[in-house]
Amino acid sequence: MSERRAVTAIADVDEFEAVEQRSLWMDGLARLARNRAALIGACIAILVLFTAVFGPFLAPKSFTATNLERRLEPPSRDYWMGTDTIGRDQFSRILHGARTAVLVAVVTLTISVSMGTIFGAVAAYYGGWVDDLVMRVVDTLYGLPDLLIAALLAVTLRRPVAEWIAQLQTRTGWGFLDNAVILDYLLVFGALAMVNWSGYARLIRGQILTLRELDFIRAEVALGLSPWQIIRKHLAPNAIQPVVVAVTLSIGGIMLSESSLSFLGLGVQPPGASWGTMIAQNLQRVFTEPYLIIGPGLVLAISVFGFNFLGDGVNDALNPRAIRR
Amino acid sequence: MLKYTFRRILFSIPVLFVILLATFALGFYGPGDPLRTFYGEELGEPDPAAIERLRKLHGLDRPFWTQFFDYIGGLLRGDLGRSILDRISVGRQVKATLTISAQLGGAAAVLLLALGVPLGILAAVKQNTWVDYLVVGTTIAGQSTPVFVLGPLLMIVFVLWLDVMNTPVGWDGFWSTKVIMPVFLMALGPMLTVVRQMRSGVLETLGQGYVRTARAKGLAERRVISRHIIKNAFTPVATSTGLIVAGLVTGVAFVELVFAIPGFGFYTLSGFQGRDFPVIMAGAVIGSSLTITANLVVDLTYAALDPRVRLG
Repeated sequence: MSERRAVTAIADVDEFEAVEQRSLWMDGLARLARNRAALIGACIAILVLFTAVFGPFLAPKSFTATNLERRLEPPSRDYWMGTDTIGRDQFSRILHGARTAVLVAVVTLTISVSMGTIFGAVAAYYGGWVDDLVMRVVDTLYGLPDLLIAALLAVTLRRPVAEWIAQLQTRTGWGFLDNAVILDYLLVFGALAMVNWSGYARLIRGQILTLRELDFIRAEVALGLSPWQIIRKHLAPNAIQPVVVAVTLSIGGIMLSESSLSFLGLGVQPPGASWGTMIAQNLQRVFTEPYLIIGPGLVLAISVFGFNFLGDGVNDALNPRAIRR
Repeated sequence: MLKYTFRRILFSIPVLFVILLATFALGFYGPGDPLRTFYGEELGEPDPAAIERLRKLHGLDRPFWTQFFDYIGGLLRGDLGRSILDRISVGRQVKATLTISAQLGGAAAVLLLALGVPLGILAAVKQNTWVDYLVVGTTIAGQSTPVFVLGPLLMIVFVLWLDVMNTPVGWDGFWSTKVIMPVFLMALGPMLTVVRQMRSGVLETLGQGYVRTARAKGLAERRVISRHIIKNAFTPVATSTGLIVAGLVTGVAFVELVFAIPGFGFYTLSGFQGRDFPVIMAGAVIGSSLTITANLVVDLTYAALDPRVRLG
């Protein structure tokens, strides 16, 4: 009975304060809009995302079509960024590379955040030896050189994953699995997710452990709110902000990892288009056809730079408690 | 302290063991039969009897655990096996290549501290001015540009357009001008970490009471910074040594690949590209041991850096 009254009292207060309310997100957006570097980053990021979605439709030529009579041509009106060793249009391939970079970032982050949430929540919830075990694995993974582990996974898992795809195809008869690029993508997603989830597990475990001890959460438990209400209305909004910051900060890094893996020949290979592969394949032509490296190289660097600046800005904007330094 | 040191070192052995086991298992079950990889692809279907004989010869017919402990035993004696592709002892190659990489890595670490620490202090002291923005912005740009982009771009600018140097490719020993560009590029990767940590460390200490006291008793600002701030602000940089070492390990590999330097990174990466598993294994083992050791050293020296920390 008294429980009920307390809840209605809270509701009354809510109605009473009809003053203009601004959520933390709107505040953050306003702070972000005042940060010039972050705005530039946001513009670059939007451009990259736009290219990833619509680039293949805007591309002047097919990104896989070869023309051996017009190979290694410098930039011209026909080929805006020249042609590569087998006469493919470099500009169209760079546009397609944006799709690869963004796709890898999105899928890898989705897998990493999900895995991190599951393992982090399990560790925080069960505590004891489960917590010890999960955190030990996380610490170990966190300390190792990311790219080394990702490269190791991409090399060793190639054959098992290829066999698995072949089996899947015979069982389902899906024709699109013939495409060799699918194997490349799966390996890159998996390898990068495996080295990235540990950071999120640590972050989410920490969030849960801190938040559940806070007075307002305890008060809600005392007021008799259901666990689901507490999670949805109070835990999640508070826990999600550091995750949003961490995700935006790591997009650039993942795009870089994808290019690095592809540069080593362990990521997305032709006919698929990746900026890293394009640089690797033309490395020995650096002095004869420099435009083949300058194009994808600059596009890669500017994209990563944009996402990094945006991530920095989001970090500042969503951390009102941290003193602006 | 001694007890803690002992316990920590003892504790890192199982971690290393698990990494070894995981890597070995990946190599054992993943890429498939090494003999088939080596003989099968170009030469058509090999004679099964011959394959069987070779398998016995190389000890590949034994069960997983026997092979694994055999590898561990060899590792303890410093024997890393032989490369599948050229049959050359991996241990000998590692020794030859690692000396080159160590020189590059050492030089990059020195450059990293010599540049990163002053830049971090500068950015903190001139906080929120254009100097601060320039330093932080440049380091973010440096971190956003991978070695395999910046390396070729710098070569295009300096060799092709400005024509002020010869192509800095290959290895003529450490004391040659060819080393400048690779070392600079290697240091650039982890530079952001050093600058950031140093900057926030200095900002943190600037607000401390003893800094105010030092100023109040009339010390020159330069002296306040050099005597009272730097030492305390350095702790966060030292704490991220593990991250920095991991960055240098990755950096050396890419730098060596781009500049065709026959170092350990180049050797490991060529192992990756040729699916040469004993070489890959050596790279994974040495790369992870380096970072684990770095983290261990940081944890052990932490108490010396910050007397408030007590190890137990």
